Amino acid sequence: MKIIKLLTKSAICFAVSTGFISFSANAQKAVNLTDPEIASIAVTANQIDIDYAKIAEQKSHDQAVINFAQTMAKDHQSVIDQAVALVTKLGVTPKDNATSKSLKAGEAKTIKMLKSKSGKAFDKAYINNEVGYHKAVIKEVETALIPDAKNAELKSLLQNVLPVLKSHLSHAEMVQKEVNK
Amino acid sequence: MKNKIPELGIKVLLLFPILFLFSCHSSDQQNAQSSRRTDTVVIQQMQFVPASITVQKGDSIVWINKDMVDHTVKEEKNGFYSDTIHVGKTWKIAATENANYVCTIHPTMKGKIVIK
Repeated sequence: MKIIKLLTKSAICFAVSTGFISFSANAQKAVNLTDPEIASIAVTANQIDIDYAKIAEQKSHDQAVINFAQTMAKDHQSVIDQAVALVTKLGVTPKDNATSKSLKAGEAKTIKMLKSKSGKAFDKAYINNEVGYHKAVIKEVETALIPDAKNAELKSLLQNVLPVLKSHLSHAEMVQKEVNK
Repeated sequence: MKNKIPELGIKVLLLFPILFLFSCHSSDQQNAQSSRRTDTVVIQQMQFVPASITVQKGDSIVWINKDMVDHTVKEEKNGFYSDTIHVGKTWKIAATENANYVCTIHPTMKGKIVIK
């Protein structure tokens, strides 16, 4: 049990340190984000997890991993649809920024890493990344996106996204325990 | 003519208790039906609210999906299954027995039906 926890922590530390999970641009909180920047980060972060899920749906043979990936693809698409509907209504145009660029750079590295693996090694890499990614996104939403959001409806949407992300994290940790047995 | 009056009286006397019993039975049925309630479980923030609902046998339970994502309601022992309850949609059943249920899309979401 301790070994699994240690391996999980190591995997997350590795992913964060190598830039696979990267919110470094905003981690220092030098400047407050604007609503167009928040919209861009929200859409990008959700799209990245859909991209990971599509790879898992193609490569994994583990039903629990496939089910989890299908849930990620559907849920994050649902969040994107609602976020896009809201920003369209508000007349907010998502604006690329250091955080969204950093997220995309991290995604490129992660996709390369995931594509290099297969079988059980892929399942472990995918689900470990999902645990770390959701932890990082939750932290970013709690400490940067929600506090910085100016528009009340955008802030409310982000507050509603948070339980979805936390549920995904619990689900990922549940699958992780099985995959790492 | 003279014989017909007592005959009519006997018929009325016989019919009265039957009609009386029938009306009571019908009234009981109406009371039972009208006393059946519809209780609500709201799905929001990735939770069934309330997580445990207590109802009378035969009462209806309606699940309302007020969340950002789709959900399901499935009895753990392969009993009732809602199929996908899309965002903003509802699903209803008549409760017949105690049940533990889950969302099959999000297995950390659990709920319970308790029959009084």
